[in-house]
Amino acid sequence: MSVGARFEGVGVTFGGRPVVEEAVFEVHPGERTAILGPNGGGKTTLMRVLLGLLAPDRGRVAFIENGREIPRPRIGYLSQRSTLTADAPLSAFDLVTLTLAPASGFRRLGGVREEARVALTRAGLAADKQDLPVGRLSGGQRQRVLLARALAGAPPLLVLDEPDTALDAEGLATLRRLVAEEIAAGRTVVYVTHDSDAMGGADAVFHVDGRVSVGFAAHVHGAAP
Amino acid sequence: MIEFLGYPFFQRALLAGALTGLLCGALSFFVVLRRLAFVGSGVAHAAFGGVALATLLGLPPGLGGLAVSLAVAGATARASESSGVTEDTAVGVFTVAAMAGGVVALGFVKTNVDLFGLMFGNILTVDPADLLLLAGAAAGILAVLAFFFRPLLLASVDEEGARVAGVATGAMRLLVLTLIAVAVVAALKVVGILLVSALLVLPGATARPLASRWPGFLGVSIAVALVSVVGGLLLSVALDIASGAAIILLGTCLFVAALGIARVRDARLRVLRAPGPC
Repeated sequence: MSVGARFEGVGVTFGGRPVVEEAVFEVHPGERTAILGPNGGGKTTLMRVLLGLLAPDRGRVAFIENGREIPRPRIGYLSQRSTLTADAPLSAFDLVTLTLAPASGFRRLGGVREEARVALTRAGLAADKQDLPVGRLSGGQRQRVLLARALAGAPPLLVLDEPDTALDAEGLATLRRLVAEEIAAGRTVVYVTHDSDAMGGADAVFHVDGRVSVGFAAHVHGAAP
Repeated sequence: MIEFLGYPFFQRALLAGALTGLLCGALSFFVVLRRLAFVGSGVAHAAFGGVALATLLGLPPGLGGLAVSLAVAGATARASESSGVTEDTAVGVFTVAAMAGGVVALGFVKTNVDLFGLMFGNILTVDPADLLLLAGAAAGILAVLAFFFRPLLLASVDEEGARVAGVATGAMRLLVLTLIAVAVVAALKVVGILLVSALLVLPGATARPLASRWPGFLGVSIAVALVSVVGGLLLSVALDIASGAAIILLGTCLFVAALGIARVRDARLRVLRAPGPC
């Protein structure tokens, strides 16, 4: 099950100032798509529209599966600056299970707990750190927790906003391996970056630069540009 | 004091205190987690305007307090979500407006209004009807908190992460403020407007430095609230002092003690983690 996304004339203004204008491009299912551009160019704004965190002033984002439009799917998200409070009274395990099963009600969470452990281990967080409060983890360990949260439950679409900023070399290698595994499993990965090779190459690269918004830079199927 | 325990009015007071402790202890967890200390206090104070207005109109005071507290809670949630005004700022504006309205309304009231009782409560005069109302409100609020616990917890610690996961964070904000408003009115007779706001903050603030994960945080918060209210009531009888004040002073002592315990614990941890001599 691969999911794509189509930006249909998306425009966003902040305080009357256009940040993104007429963004028209498509994230193809099962591909690795890089969004490049200078700081303040509107990359994160576009990702926030994709995630449903920001309503565009014009246009919309359509999600496509097997050629048909579907409602917004579950999206795994690793943000550039997490809003997770530093002193949150949650362990890494608590945070991932809560994100996997955030709905209200009373039910058993057996499967969810297992998925959370698998995701944390895949993201490289040692077993003895998984039950520690997130506030006691180092910056790199915390980033791995947030990565595990994004990957947990195998969401069909994964959005990574400058994922390489808070990771050390080992963490970055883990991230590249995980992205490759996600792509091999048929999932779609979109990442914002300053370096299109950051995730080991991209199938498509889009350039976002302020008012010009989206400029199609390259789209190479089956091989990194 | 043993003699007091045999009186029905004192038994009702103890039960009302336990229910208020349970209710405020559970809500205090979210008040402290979401940094709503001032907002909780504001919603509580807004009830004053509603009670005064209801008295002027000849309506039940509790109903007026509930209506105005809910209105302030709703307006605060709406303003902070739609116009970028922080919750602190919004509640600061709406609360003083509600209180000013209350003062104006009291100017027209010809009957005597028990302002002291309204502000500080009188737990010893709780009647069976009050107790029933409090028990119903406590059961309702605790059931709602339990049902929405997971989305509320996630939205309280990571609003953006919760939204991406599909949680309606605006609705969760409004839910917490609404529950605070209902709890304030339910606990009005027990501890009064001024003291209920303290009871919404103190238990959570006491638990925070003692517990690093939510189960301990929530459990200690409820325990502190119960000990404060029931212990304060017993102290008030033993020392012949005002019950509401005794409850809050005991809660404050527990808060200071918690800070001390956390300080000693952290110092010991630093020593244990320090590298030994070579």
